[in-house]
Amino acid sequence: MTNIENKIFSSYQKDAALYDEIFDSEGQVKEVYQKLFSLYGEHSIEDYVNLNSKAKASFFNQGITFQVYGDKETKEKIFPFDLFPRIIDPVEWDIIEKGSIQRSKALNLFLWDIYHDKNIIKDGIVPMELISSSDNYLDQMKGLDPPEGIYNHISGIDIIKHNDGKYYVLEDNIRCPSGVSYVICNRTALKRALFGVFNHYQTYSVTNYAENLLDLLETVKPHGVDIPNTVVLTPGMYNSAFYEHSYLAKTMGVELVEGRDLFVENDFVYMKTIKGPEKVDIIYRRVDDQFIDPLEFNADSVLGVPGLFSAYKKGNVTLANAPGTGVADDKAIYTYMPEIIKYYLKEEPILNNVHTYHCSRPDELKYVLDHVHELVIKPVDEAGGYGILIGNKLSKKEIELAKEQLKANPRKYVAQPIMSLSVHPTYIDETEEFEQRHVDLRIFTVLGKDKEFVLKGGLTRVALQKGNLIVNSSQGGGSKDTWVLKSI
Amino acid sequence: MYLEYTINYCTNNTYESLVKSAFWQFLIQPETNETQELIAVEFKNSLNIPHEFSINGYGFNSIRVTPKKAFKEIHFYASFTLKKKEIALDLIESKLTIEREMNILNSLYFKVDFESFLKTTSYTQLQNNDRNLYLFDWSLSVLKNLQNLNSWVFNYIKFKANTTTVNSTLDEVITIKHGVCQDFTHLFCAIARLNKIPARYVSGYLHQGNGYFGDSQMHAWAETYVPSKGWVGFDPTNNLFTNSNHIKVCHGKDYKDCAPLKGVVFALGKNKTSHTVQVLSQQQ
Repeated sequence: MTNIENKIFSSYQKDAALYDEIFDSEGQVKEVYQKLFSLYGEHSIEDYVNLNSKAKASFFNQGITFQVYGDKETKEKIFPFDLFPRIIDPVEWDIIEKGSIQRSKALNLFLWDIYHDKNIIKDGIVPMELISSSDNYLDQMKGLDPPEGIYNHISGIDIIKHNDGKYYVLEDNIRCPSGVSYVICNRTALKRALFGVFNHYQTYSVTNYAENLLDLLETVKPHGVDIPNTVVLTPGMYNSAFYEHSYLAKTMGVELVEGRDLFVENDFVYMKTIKGPEKVDIIYRRVDDQFIDPLEFNADSVLGVPGLFSAYKKGNVTLANAPGTGVADDKAIYTYMPEIIKYYLKEEPILNNVHTYHCSRPDELKYVLDHVHELVIKPVDEAGGYGILIGNKLSKKEIELAKEQLKANPRKYVAQPIMSLSVHPTYIDETEEFEQRHVDLRIFTVLGKDKEFVLKGGLTRVALQKGNLIVNSSQGGGSKDTWVLKSI
Repeated sequence: MYLEYTINYCTNNTYESLVKSAFWQFLIQPETNETQELIAVEFKNSLNIPHEFSINGYGFNSIRVTPKKAFKEIHFYASFTLKKKEIALDLIESKLTIEREMNILNSLYFKVDFESFLKTTSYTQLQNNDRNLYLFDWSLSVLKNLQNLNSWVFNYIKFKANTTTVNSTLDEVITIKHGVCQDFTHLFCAIARLNKIPARYVSGYLHQGNGYFGDSQMHAWAETYVPSKGWVGFDPTNNLFTNSNHIKVCHGKDYKDCAPLKGVVFALGKNKTSHTVQVLSQQQ
């Protein structure tokens, strides 16, 4: 076992209460990280800083930037990148991959059901209010059969490792999940800066994402189309994820279009080109549901294509993801995921859900009332983090107050254990040292006809502020390259 | 016995400045169903722009027009010829007991199947203190209750054009107690849904030969689902069951799903739109 006699880790401070991805509870470096640890250890912190700044420059040079809205001056920023990778061993990865596919498939079957017979509601597994009160449930999708029955072609599943060492899913993103271009660019930057290190590991490639995405999208082409024509539909260059849209179009080898580049005639979709109209069969759209067709949804939208939904309804074009998928990634649906998986697949969930106590159920309410101090209490109908109570941050008086609220209106609340995201050593500019920072992981899953693909890697997001659990890039989060090993 | 109708629909749109880009979707073509059959359709516009027949998001017939040249003024004319069955009013009370009807309305399967037409929308939202505006008498059947509701709505609101707009909420309608067919229908649907009876908003044409209230535009009424009878049409603007004078175009949760004309027009300055509708009948 390697001891921490490593130049760049000499002042690394470990909080015993946190689950560290590199060091085990005895302070030993975990097996998968040992090679990396000793290779990095041969260098000084100055070498590392030097390489890190070169990697950052390469991001600027490639134009991999995002815009932060609301700043006084709009500034292109790079997504802070950290050269110390996260490593996932093959055994753990196998669970993540199988679990992600299972979840995506279950969500797809759920979407089919709630837009057709709604058996899961009739059987009393999921309450009807979850769909009838959801703004993301589109009545226009009822009875519509998307090509090959696929709704959530692309899913982004956010998982964390809790301090019990197990993976938990926090969120399923099945509208327009973004971030996959960072996964690929992080890899490019890391390989450029540290090929000598990368070369010591048998790591799965991530650059095959675009070709697999295109392959799978082509399996769900509209009926009667021989060789489909695919495009990426973007809201435009002012969208914060525009880089990703252009990157995906470029790497898939397809056109990047805005709404105004397309038009609908006799329920077929065409792209305007200098050689005349060209029929479009598959649209990987990165425009939200409400904006895709001003004649059917938000009439003020200038991002969409008038008549697009009619073309879709007639089966003449594939939209990925299908409109109306958003209903299945609502917070309230998340709490039913274990039941949804069992109902459609007759399988036990592979990835854990954060356990949810429904205060509407008397026995669960009793548990919640007795354990307020160790739970997060959330109102079921509030979005954006309003009204959330974190038990271990409440005073005695506040706990009593919370109990009164729960007893007065139990239907309004759910409760979950307080999750602790694992930490990973991350280089911090201010202190010029490695420090523990919380990380999560977004997994990208693609569903096609009888085929699925999980990108062997993922976006590890890092909360750069000490103690902070929020990993979003708009909130000052960064990212790491994520290595999935073929073997240890 | 059949009635033959000809419906003429015209709309004139004028714009202050030149319009370079526009898209229109008309939801004005009568559907074919058990009581009516569309025989002929004629559609024209003053700029001779080609039009397309399609379906909207709910599967109803739509007509789309996309001009490819700039204009300041455009007129549309549509003419539909239709055969309508004389409807013999089936007022025979349901054979089900009131208790059985209640059981059906309260069953989960029923609520799930009719979920769209049981939920409250922005147009059918009643304020808390208005929820007791009209109470059902559950010693009576569903059909009888709906009939009473129809009369109540008819008497509660006075028909008066131009007091409300297409954006008026029920709140405003209840305050001023005046409105047009759209407002009568929204109020009727809101109270029916409050009582767990599926109700849908219907857009169509009314043959006004008999002196009914409607307007010289399109008409609106409601259809409610009565256990064992199916969808039954009520016209609260005229205190009637729907009959052979009612020609249906489409239905939805409220006006928003059924708006006759949706347009995306990129134009500066003011614009003016006018519509006229004429329903002519010829008994056969």
